[in-house]
Amino acid sequence: MSHDHHHGHNPPAPMVDEVSDFEALEIAVRELCIEKGLFTADDHRKFTEFAEHIGPTPAARMVAKAWLDPAYKKLCLTDSLAACKAVGVDLLNPTGFGTPSDYTDVRVLEDTPTLHHVVVCTLCSCYPRPILGFQPEWYRTPNYRRRLVRWPRQVLAEFGLVLPSDVEIRVEDSNQKCRFIVMPVRPAGTEGWTEDQLTEIVTRDCLIGVALPKPGMTSNVKFPVHKAAKPAH
Amino acid sequence: MSQHDRTHHAKIATGKGDPQCFKGTAGGPPKFKVGDRVRIKDLPDIFYTRCQVYTRGAIGEVAVITHESPAPEDEAWGHVDHSEWFYIIRFKQKDLWPEYPDTFGNDSLQTEFSERWLEPA
Repeated sequence: MSHDHHHGHNPPAPMVDEVSDFEALEIAVRELCIEKGLFTADDHRKFTEFAEHIGPTPAARMVAKAWLDPAYKKLCLTDSLAACKAVGVDLLNPTGFGTPSDYTDVRVLEDTPTLHHVVVCTLCSCYPRPILGFQPEWYRTPNYRRRLVRWPRQVLAEFGLVLPSDVEIRVEDSNQKCRFIVMPVRPAGTEGWTEDQLTEIVTRDCLIGVALPKPGMTSNVKFPVHKAAKPAH
Repeated sequence: MSQHDRTHHAKIATGKGDPQCFKGTAGGPPKFKVGDRVRIKDLPDIFYTRCQVYTRGAIGEVAVITHESPAPEDEAWGHVDHSEWFYIIRFKQKDLWPEYPDTFGNDSLQTEFSERWLEPA
């Protein structure tokens, strides 16, 4: 450690900036449950760890399977519970412990070359968590929620998605107990691809509807580094 | 000691899911069918609603009959004895936002309502 660092010039950052009413309520209910023996602190930690590691991969596989198998696609559109089970997610027992934690009327919205779906929850941030994981931060923001229903094309353009006027954009406001997954159109350039290859290009944003799948654009892609047009140095 | 059974919902939803656990509790068939034109009522609401202001008074079309469930306006108070049919209604964006550009006149929006919010249009 260097000897010339300064002590006490800047007060340490507070441990907690501000605790909202909802956070206080969550802590109170959680501590009560633990005290009453409904679950232990370790159970709670395990559940949090479980919930936070679910990702969109099962839903991506669902779309890839549907692209390859018309019978499975039909199942997605008519019996999504069975379709989810086929990719390893049992919506009636998503955690493997405890009761259902989410509403289970999941609906797959099928895009066509002239119809594009995009999902929002204007009330809060409703999202099919057992199969898509937690929402991205922007999905929860009032900015996205308020603007997407009214100015969908402008908001999608901010995500880099500009669609021509002959494509109908259909916003799905997920305000009740249904939960939605977008099934995009299989992109050109993926002919002869395997289910695994197709799964890789169906990223989270494609399943919400703010992006379209593209060959080469995967969630683990190595992005090219572009040189700045006007570098600072 | 509270008389309220706090595990009631877990008991009825386990193995069936919610809203599937309310199947058959609306007391009859749905009043509207797919394709029906409906107007969203502007009902008063107290404490809680999921009927967005931007849809009230607008005319749309029944796209999907989804399920039966207690309405959120009742469920919020713990009243779950009576269910209603739910519908996904499709609106033209032009019918929701007068300033929506004509260039994109095909654009639409879907959102869900319980039966109490709908009247024939």
